[in-house]
Amino acid sequence: MAQGWNWSGFFDYLTNSYILGGAVTTLWLTLAAIVGGLVLGCALALARLSSFRWLSAPAHFYIWVFRGTPLLVQLIIIYTGLPQLGLRLSVVESALAGLILNEAAYLAEIVRGGILGVPAGQTNAARAVGFSGAQAMRYIVMPQALRLIVPALGNSVNGLLKTTSITSVISMEELLRRTQVLIQEKFMVLELFIVAATYYLLMTTAWDFVQRRIERHFGRAYSTTVSTPKPDTVLEQR
Amino acid sequence: MKMLSVLASATALALGMAQAIAQDCKSPVPDSALVKKGTLLMSVNPTLPPMQFVDQNGQLKGMRVELGGMIAKRLCLKPEYVRIEFSAMIPGLQAGRWDVINTGIFYTEERAKLMNMLQYEDQAISISTTKGNPLKISKPEDLSGKSIGVEIGGFEERKARELDKALTDKGMKGMTIRTFENFAMAYQSLRAGQVEVALSIDSTAAEYQKRGEFDRVLHGLFPTPVALATKNKALADAMAKALNDMKADGSFQKLFDQYGVKPIDGEIVVRGPAG
Repeated sequence: MAQGWNWSGFFDYLTNSYILGGAVTTLWLTLAAIVGGLVLGCALALARLSSFRWLSAPAHFYIWVFRGTPLLVQLIIIYTGLPQLGLRLSVVESALAGLILNEAAYLAEIVRGGILGVPAGQTNAARAVGFSGAQAMRYIVMPQALRLIVPALGNSVNGLLKTTSITSVISMEELLRRTQVLIQEKFMVLELFIVAATYYLLMTTAWDFVQRRIERHFGRAYSTTVSTPKPDTVLEQR
Repeated sequence: MKMLSVLASATALALGMAQAIAQDCKSPVPDSALVKKGTLLMSVNPTLPPMQFVDQNGQLKGMRVELGGMIAKRLCLKPEYVRIEFSAMIPGLQAGRWDVINTGIFYTEERAKLMNMLQYEDQAISISTTKGNPLKISKPEDLSGKSIGVEIGGFEERKARELDKALTDKGMKGMTIRTFENFAMAYQSLRAGQVEVALSIDSTAAEYQKRGEFDRVLHGLFPTPVALATKNKALADAMAKALNDMKADGSFQKLFDQYGVKPIDGEIVVRGPAG
């Protein structure tokens, strides 16, 4: 029986290409889910904010269903339930569909919150100077909303990276599942799962850096490090 | 307050009764050999009817569950089950989470180096398809190019990989192996058409065929005894004695006959790291 912490076992698994392949799968699953979720989420947020009930009601319903049920249940329904109705998606398709559909519901609420966070006066002012509704959204509201959305969005990406592990139940071979597959080989449980944890931590940490850069980008206008002209020089220029 | 004192006296009464039962029957297993005093804590993955499964009311049923209860009774212990996925069982036994793995764990020499194993039942591997055997599978070679569902982390998964390797060694196309948390999920995926065949044990594949949902198209592959496993040697010895007593008085054979399962021939012995 393996006793005590085994460093060489840990490093063997840390550099194991099978595990690394699992981490790569986790990474692209996350990226695909966040991109897909964001596209669908934005559409849902705009639909929910629409004054047309035939647009806002279905969006509201969608968000209600997908935020109100566990991803695990959604995945099993998509993978083993839908074929009963004649729709059979592959493992990868099922995993992606589950992650995207679920994530979109959350992201829709984040985007909606961001849009509502921009004072209504901004839209009114834009309309007053002749912007159409869509133009006001695109050029006035969205740039300001994004600044509010990014921190929450970052949180979602971090969460999603870890949530992808749930797709292992439908036999998706991501990082967690590959870790589990290797367990039976030597039963170095602690070493193997610490390896998996290390990979997750590396990926979430890398995302932290990316997120900070994105936040800086959208927060430019509010940043104190950007030199703003003093009021009197502005006056002099006039 | 009155309610509380009634409750308290009822609890005291219940405790007293439990003690009275315990006193009637002295367990040959020392408390130090057990995870929980007076209890035989066993892990089971109840997704293999008719060996181990859960009925409509959530009650554990099946031959191995009954066997565990019979052993506990002979050891003057209270049987208690932890329901958990197979992949967690060996690590859990090593970590002292339960006393016994009673989930029909296949005997292998490597495993006997990790824990004490008592072989008691003959099993083998089966392949199931959906009803009517649509892919006309009649020999292992027919599995070439098929997708196969199996429970993760066990003998069955390893045998699936061996079957795959045997195919590729012959220059044939291998299988796509999909691993699931348990057999229930693997069969669910088979029913949904997500995999073309599912790999499980003879008894379970036969049971599903009897229920009319799936066909058992291959069976008797890799015949291997299954075992009960413990971390503690003294407990293993006590269990071996209980099992041999059951063999002697016929209750062992009776249980196996009831389920149409073949017990191993001869005496039940402990094979473990020490011996």
